[in-house]
Parts: sequence; C-alpha cells; structure tokens
Amino acid sequence: MLSVNRINTYRIPFTFEYYRPRTLREALEILRSVEGAKVVAGGTDLVVDMKFRRVEPKALVDVSKLEELRYVRLVEDYVEIGSAVTLQELVESEVVRARLPLLWEAVNSMASWQVRNIATIGGNICNASPAADTAPPLLAYGAKLLLTSLDGVREVGIGEFFVGPKRSIIRPDEVLQAIRVPVHPAGYGWSFRKVSRTSFDIAKISVAVLLKVDGGRIRDPRIALGAVAPTPVRARSTERAIESLSLEEALEVGPRFVEGDIAPIDDVRSTAWYRREVAKVLLRDSLRTAYERSLNPGWVHEG
Amino acid sequence: MYDFIGKTFPRHDGVAKATGLVEFTFDIEIPDMLYGRIFKSPYAFAKVRRIDTSLAESLGAVVLTPDSVPDRLFNPRLVSIEEDTFKDWRVLTYTPRYLGEPIAAVAAPSEDLAQRALEALKVEFEEVYEPILDPFKAMAPGARPIHERIVRGRTWVEVRNNVAAELRYSEGDVELEERRSDVVIERRFHVPRRYHVQLEPKGAVCKPEPDGSITVWTTTQTIHNTKILISQVYGIPMSRVNVKKVPIGGGFGSSIHTNLVTLIAVGLCLKSGRPVKLVLTREEDMVHDHVSFEFYMRIRAGATKDGTITFGEFENILDIGAHQVQAYPLLGTALGWFVSLYRWRAVRYYGRSVYTNKVPSCAIRGYGAPEVTWAVETVVDEMAEELGIDPLEFRLRNYRGRGEIFWGQGPTVKSVIRSDGVPELIARGSELIGWRNRGDPRSKTGRYRRGIGVGRGFHTSGAGGPLSGAIIDYSGAIVKVNEDGTVDYITALQDHGGGTLDAHAKIIAEELKIPPSKVRIVWSDTATTVYDVCTHASRGVYVGGEAARRAAAEVRRKVLEYAARILDAVNPEALRVEYDRELDDAVIYVEGAPDRRVTLSEVARIAWQRNWGSISASVSYRATAAPPSFTVYFVEVEVDTETGIVRPVRVVAGADAGTVINPELAAGQLHGGFAMGWSWAVGDEVSYTEDGVPAHRLSVADYKIPTALDLPKPEEFVVLFASTYEPTGPFGAKGLGEAASNPVIAAVANAIYNAIGIRFYEIPITPERVLEALRERG
Ligand SMILES: Cc1cc2nc3c(=O)[nH]c(=O)nc-3n(C[C@H](O)[C@H](O)[C@H](O)COP(=O)(O)OP(=O)(O)OC[C@H]3O[C@@H](n4cnc5c(N)ncnc54)[C@H](O)[C@@H]3O)c2cc1C
Repeated sequence: MLSVNRINTYRIPFTFEYYRPRTLREALEILRSVEGAKVVAGGTDLVVDMKFRRVEPKALVDVSKLEELRYVRLVEDYVEIGSAVTLQELVESEVVRARLPLLWEAVNSMASWQVRNIATIGGNICNASPAADTAPPLLAYGAKLLLTSLDGVREVGIGEFFVGPKRSIIRPDEVLQAIRVPVHPAGYGWSFRKVSRTSFDIAKISVAVLLKVDGGRIRDPRIALGAVAPTPVRARSTERAIESLSLEEALEVGPRFVEGDIAPIDDVRSTAWYRREVAKVLLRDSLRTAYERSLNPGWVHEG
Repeated sequence: MYDFIGKTFPRHDGVAKATGLVEFTFDIEIPDMLYGRIFKSPYAFAKVRRIDTSLAESLGAVVLTPDSVPDRLFNPRLVSIEEDTFKDWRVLTYTPRYLGEPIAAVAAPSEDLAQRALEALKVEFEEVYEPILDPFKAMAPGARPIHERIVRGRTWVEVRNNVAAELRYSEGDVELEERRSDVVIERRFHVPRRYHVQLEPKGAVCKPEPDGSITVWTTTQTIHNTKILISQVYGIPMSRVNVKKVPIGGGFGSSIHTNLVTLIAVGLCLKSGRPVKLVLTREEDMVHDHVSFEFYMRIRAGATKDGTITFGEFENILDIGAHQVQAYPLLGTALGWFVSLYRWRAVRYYGRSVYTNKVPSCAIRGYGAPEVTWAVETVVDEMAEELGIDPLEFRLRNYRGRGEIFWGQGPTVKSVIRSDGVPELIARGSELIGWRNRGDPRSKTGRYRRGIGVGRGFHTSGAGGPLSGAIIDYSGAIVKVNEDGTVDYITALQDHGGGTLDAHAKIIAEELKIPPSKVRIVWSDTATTVYDVCTHASRGVYVGGEAARRAAAEVRRKVLEYAARILDAVNPEALRVEYDRELDDAVIYVEGAPDRRVTLSEVARIAWQRNWGSISASVSYRATAAPPSFTVYFVEVEVDTETGIVRPVRVVAGADAGTVINPELAAGQLHGGFAMGWSWAVGDEVSYTEDGVPAHRLSVADYKIPTALDLPKPEEFVVLFASTYEPTGPFGAKGLGEAASNPVIAAVANAIYNAIGIRFYEIPITPERVLEALRERG
C-alpha cells in the first residue's frame, strides 16, 4: 500500500529537533549524543526527502552556518573547499574557476541560481546520488574527503566514498569537513558535459574528462561519469584503452570500452539503452573538447 | 481609429501581482478556521469495508466520511445541458476507482493536527482489485466493470464494457470518395495524459454565515457553475450559496469544472459549523486530482491528384480515467475540430470514451484540438508530399475558410465563418521563416540537422451559435457609473491571469470614451453578478467582452439621454462623444455647437444631484456564433542526430484573432501557447506503473516542462497578427488562448520530419524516441 496520506509537502509531516551548533565540535557532540540525528546543510536534497518521508530523522544538525566549513583556500598544490560552501559561491570563486576549471564547469551547470544559493558542495557529495554533478570532476581530479568525528579526522579518496545510490561510507556521527582537490594539472585539457530533460534538471548522463596531449597522443586520461551506474564512476578500462592514442583513435576506441565501465538502468529520467548510447556520444564530445583545450594553453591556468 | 483598443496599458492587477499582494485562495485566513486534509485511496481500485474515525476524532478533528455527505451522483462540470450530462461522481466514496480518490476528510484547528488526524484514520479495505489501466483491456470481454450504472441526465443507464460514452457520425459517401482518391493514407496516433502544471494547486475555503448560508472562495474558472453544483449536491438553495471570485493562478482547463476539494471543503464546513480551508499540495494536485485526456486516434484520409481532399475517417478512443468530467462532449468537439479543419467531402467518425482506473481526465488547453490538429496536419503533410504538392498550397486549397459552415465545438454548435486570416498568415509567415529554402530531409546530412515545419489550426471563440444546442454558453455584465463618472464593471467571468478582464475594461472604455483607468474591475461573487458559464473555449474576450460592450453601450445611451437634457439638445441622436485627452474624460457635445459640451463626470454628478437616478445596465448575452480564430505556426528545429535532442531554433507564430485588443498580452498568449505545445510535443507525459501509480512517482521534480532556457530566444520568436475584423465580436475581436497552442505539436512534428525524414505518431517525441528511430532507420 502506498503511503499517500503520509506525504504532505506543505509541511514536513512529522516533528523533529533542530540544532544549530556554533562550532564544529558542538555539532559532532550532538551527532554523537542525540539518537537519530542527521546533518543538514542547504536542505535541497534532505528536506525534499523528509517531505516525502523517505527519511525521518529525529533531529537535524544544521552545519550550513559553521564558519569552520565555509572557506575556499589554495594550499600548496591543492584547493581546500569547506563542505558548507554553496554552489553559487563556487561559481563565483576565482580560485575554483582558475585552479579547478573542470569542477567549475560542472557546478556552473547545476540547478538554478536560487538553488545554488543554498545548496552546498558537501550536501551534493554526502547525498551520494549517482547523478551528483560535482562527483565526476572530483573523481577525475582525485579529490580527498576529510571526514571528521569526535574520534578525529579520516581522509578518504572520493573513489572509495560512494557505495551505492544514496549510500556512502560516512558514519552517522561524522561530518564531511572539507574536500581537498589537487589543483588542475598544468597543460591538461578538461571537459564536463551532461544531458538532462530540461536545462534545470538532474543529469541523465554526465561525463568529466581530464587529459594531456603529448606529441599528438593522449596521456593520463581521467574519465568519470555520473548517472550511469549505482555510483559516480571512474572509467578505468576506457582510460587504459585510450592512453597514448591519437584523438581519432581514442574517439573510435573510447566509446567501445566505456560500455564496460558503466551499468546504467531505466528510470524516470531515461532508459538504460539511451544512457549507454549517449554516454558514448558525450565521451566523444568531451574527449574532443579536452583535447583542444589541452593544445590551447591560453585556456589553462598556468603556474 | 480607436482610443484604447489595440494600445498597451498597465494591467489593473499587474503591480499587486508583481509585488505579491494579490490574495489567492491559499492566502485566505478566517478567524476560527479549521484546516482540512483529504484521505486519499492508496489503491487504484478497491472497496472499503469500514472507516474507524475514533482516534482522529479524539485528537480533536472533525471527520467526514461517505456517510456524512449526500449519496448523490453528479458530474462536476455543468456545461452540457442536463440530458447530456453523465453523472458518476460522489464527494467521498467507499469504492475508490483511482489512486488518490477521496474516501474521507478531516479538519482540525492546525495544519499539523489535521495531518496527524489524517494519519490516525483507520480505513479497512474489503477488497483490492487489480486496476485496469489500459482502455483496450477495459473494453475486453470479462473486464471488471469500473462503474456498473451511472446517471445520464436524470435516468440510470448501464455501463457496458467500461465504455463511458460513444458518438458516431457520418456525412457523404466515404467509400465512393475513397474510390475517387489517388492517394489514401491511414495512420494511428497516440497522445498520453499530461498534467496542466497550472501555477496554483487547487484549494477552497468555505465559511458558514450567521444567516445559515455559506460563502465559498475557491480555485475555479466558473463561480456560477460552482454555486449551482454545491446547491445540487448538498441540497442548499442557490440563494444561500455565495461563491466569491478569487484570483486564480492559471487554469488551462484544470478548474473548468468544480473541483472535488471545493465540495469536500463545503462538507467539512457544514459538518463542523466552522470556516474550513482545504488546499491540495502540488503532489496531490498533479498525482491524485486531474490530468488531461489520453487519445488513441486512427485517421484515414484521401485526396485526388489535383490536390483536393476527398474523405476523412476518424476513430477516436479516449482513456478518460475513472470518472467523467466531459468525456461525452469531447467526443463531439474532437469530431468538430476534425471536420472543421478541412473540406472533407465525406466523413465517418467513431468515438468512444473508456473508463480506466486512473485519475479522471479533464480538458487541457485546446480541448482536443492540439491532439486532433497534430494528427490531421501530419496526414495532410504526408498526402501533400505523396502528391508532390507544396504543403502550404495543399492547405490553402482545402481548408475551411470564409463563408463556410464551421462547428468546432461539436455537431450542435454550427455557424458561418465571417473572418479568415489564413492566406495572409501563410503568405507572411512562410516568407519570414524562409519556407522555400527549407530543403528536403533526404538531402540533409551531418550531426545537427535543421528542419522547418508548419501547423495550421484554429479554435472557436466560445461555444455559441444561432441554435441552442447541447452546450450552455452565455455571459453577463453589469456596468454602473459612479457619481464622479468613474465606472464599476461587475462580471462573474474569471480571468485566469491572461488579462481577459483588462480587455473588457478597454472595451468598456472604448464604448464610453473614458480611459481604462476609470473602469474598476470589481471582485465580485455569484450573489452580485448575473450568470456566466465559464472562462473556457477561448470565449473570455469574444463572449464576455461583447456582454461588457453591450452593457457599456446601454450606459452610453443613458448618459446621452441625460446629456441631452443638460445640453438642451433636441434628442440624444444630436450628440457626439469623444475622448478628451486633456480632461482625461469623455466629452459629450452637440455637433456644430462647440459651447454645448459636458463631460461624462459632469453628467454623472448632475444626475445624482438632481435625483435623476443611477446610470447602470445589466446585460445577459448569448453569442450567436463561435467564430474560429485561426493560427499558423512555422517552426524551425535542430535535431542532434547523436543524442536525439531536438532544439527549437525559430518560431513564427501567426494568429488571426480579429481586432487585437491587448497586443502585448495577445503576443504573450502566443509565447505561452508555443511553450505549452512544445512541451507536449517533446517533453511531458504522465505514464503509469502497473499498480496505478504515475511513473513520475509523487513529485513535480520529475514532471518536466521547459524553462526559458529550453525555448527559442525572444528575438527568434516572431508574432504576426492578421489584419482581420470579426463582425460579430466586440470591436471585431475573436478569441486566442487555445488557438495559440493548437497547431504547435503539428508544426514541431512536421519540422522534425523535415530535419531527419522521420515521422512520429506518438508524442512526446523524446530524445530517447528520436535516437531509437534514427538507429532503427540506420
Ligand atoms: C530544483 C533542484 C535542482 C537541482 N539540480 C541539481 C543539479 O543540477 N545537479 C546536482 O547534482 N544536484 C542538483 N540538485 C540536488 C541538490 O541541490 C544538490 O545535491 C545539493 O548540492 C545538495 O546540497 P545541500 O546543502 O542542499 O544538501 P542537504 O540537502 O542539506 O543534504 C544532503 C545530504 O547530505 C548530508 N550532508 C550535508 N552536508 C553534510 C556534511 N557537511 N557532512 C555530512 N553529511 C552532510 C545530509 O545529511 C543529507 O543526507 C537539485 C535540487 C533541486 C531541489
């Protein structure tokens, strides 16, 4: 039986406690001591889920105003982004635009200005949607996540973070504190592409590509895709297959391999068949764009 | 030649809307008010054994069950005459026939308590049946009857094979005409159900009055029919039900009937004796309340070598969902759209409306015309191609135009066409889009392919006619002059947000030669207005506007009578009226005697001071025609042959709306009409999973309509108005709202064909379908 009468999107149809801690430590203490507490940042995923009663947390711990989570910093060879930085702040960040152009391109394509003003990068990652648009670029860059609890900080690669649709390795008493992203490697071309039903929608398929061109050959390609597998995925076999190929060869070979790297399904947004076919198209388009950008040094931040 | 018609003025409600000051039903708060929630059936087809209300009541809620409302069948739409009204609805039911059908309702002092009380209701089901979701399965022998008996007019009728209504029609000799044809084409078309996505989810507030009457505020396109239905269902005299007109956030047909929420709110109010507010959430509105009709059409048509259309055969099966809103009249209008598009020498029609266990369907903008026009315009394009005749030429040779009989709204609503802008729109539009250079799809190559398509259609302006027919259609207006010469305009006619009433204000202003700013549009109610059937069928300006004009004309006569007394003219015929820009008022004067002048304000003041009485008029008006507003769309699209994504590149939207009263708002109708048609063509659809749950599940997040970024850039969207004059309309005006979207699907589909050489017979033409079709063709 469908619980149609339990849903009420005008109100969150159940009661819960709401905490707004002043420090990260306080947040971690509440998460440890209050049964059924859950982190909320912008709420653009979580509140929707609550209205539909897909989750019914007993308490929300609001981290969106914690200054400790709200910064973007260039530290040596990586950019550190606090988890409560909003998507719009990332779009407007010079550091992100110049040092992480692939991430910037993805974030710039997300949602609408209004949603970007409250949605956070931490929420996008921790929501662990296979379609999370920041995931493919972060996978391509090899980002690290700092997960913090009262026990301390653990640093995990983003590749190990996701385990299934809406499932990750984060523990209920942990907060994603920051994301460490190695700066865009010099001379690499990049491209993020996605298709969705309308210009204001979650992706049907997304592809992020980073690569270098050396003597007309592709080097160190890093390819990640969204919405075509239970989690955002790196296309490792494709990467291996196109290493050292010319662009023409890669356009031919890449799409053949990418099929093996993904496992799309039919859902309300599209079909498995379409996703498979268009993932190949987007891969080709992205390889071409990344290749061109790699050859054109003006496009890439130097130094 | 006009002072106000055809010019742009600020909308009377523009600032209030832009600043959020307008109060919609949702915003109404009354002291002591209760908040309602509806218990929706969790099954698509079931039987309730019992409802345990004790827990909910112990929380302090008032509970309404099927036992607490009159057990009387009704149809929420009161536009057909009673003999043609099929009644199969109850306010609340023990036999839910679609997922979400209201079984019970609660009202409590707070929204949270109401939600808790709702969850505290225990509804026990005796049986849960397998829902019938496909109309063909519903008609198959042995299928469980969704309704056994319903009431037509006042008579019980048996329902056989789940067929809710049927209509057959024929004219001429189809077999003979087919033998004479050189080309015959037969195609099947499928249009899914769609949601209206009107901005405002439905709601109602009902308040008991000290005199025992009730006052109702609700989302509706018709306050008078709402009053009548409440009166009929609850057995309350009409003089004790007052329905207030409230601004509505778009209609598109979704509130063309009286919504169930309204009737449930009334029931809760009567039972509790307290004011009750009941509003649907967006999800309830889109998943459990209404969708548009689903069409399965078969068209067979022929033409001769010289480019003359011979016959048309049309089979039309409608999946109407679990109840009838206007399942029978739609069979008639679908036929009307078909017959009136082209000069078929012979026609044969068979239409059936079929029950399924899905949310009831109601009209969506165009009432079947966009769907039928798409099918016909596809077949016509194909015939032209086969005959080697330019599709524009073929259309011009065969369409129904000036001087011919026309009956868009069904077989009982016929009139003669008196204004026709089709040749002008085709000539100018084809030039602007570059029709001649559109190329042949077979010669187009490359990943991105462009194509240009045309769609020609029309909509009626209302459903009037010289004979009474099966449809009720008349309107009314009251115009009164205040003692300072300003004017109050009182009408029951609803403005859905398109600016219909601003058009009326201008019509009145033009008739009286006073500025539109002096005409106040009064927020009225059923107690203080005369009957208007409904704002539907693109009749707001044509019928309602003419009622307003006639009331204003009567006021003008009275003003002239009084002015003749003041100016000592021999009689009112000696007087002229003119708008004086400096005085910003009407000036009445004797021709040739410039010193004999008086302003309208002065006339009003004198009439008051000298006890001559109020200057006012009340008019009830029936239009004796429903003239077609023709529209011709030229659309250019670009198809990405690798992703199947279709992008709109350019649009030329041509409309023959007669005299254009509000040019900017009329252009807005075309922009909006295109957006909606585009969405139907390539985007939105309500499909169902096997348990009767809409496949988009429960959220508007997965029901996609285009955003501004998905539509053509404003500079690539050209609006053309034909220079026509409709002799039966107010100052020559006709309707526009539905004509604005009717040919869009057709134009888009024909453009896609011109780009890639593939015809689609099922909408929406999604990227998935385009890519699959391209791959299949190889
Ligand atoms: C209209 C609309 C359009 C959208 N468009 C897009 C789009 O184009 N692309 C896209 O990828 N997404 C889109 N989204 C989804 C959503 O906006 C993003 O995923 C957003 O980044 C979520 O961030 P948030 O701060 O709102 O997360 P919240 O909803 O607050 O949280 C999401 C989840 O993450 C957890 N969480 C949040 N922060 C932390 C933290 N610091 N530590 C631990 N757990 C945490 C929460 O407990 C929750 O489980 C859209 C959503 C809407 C409503």
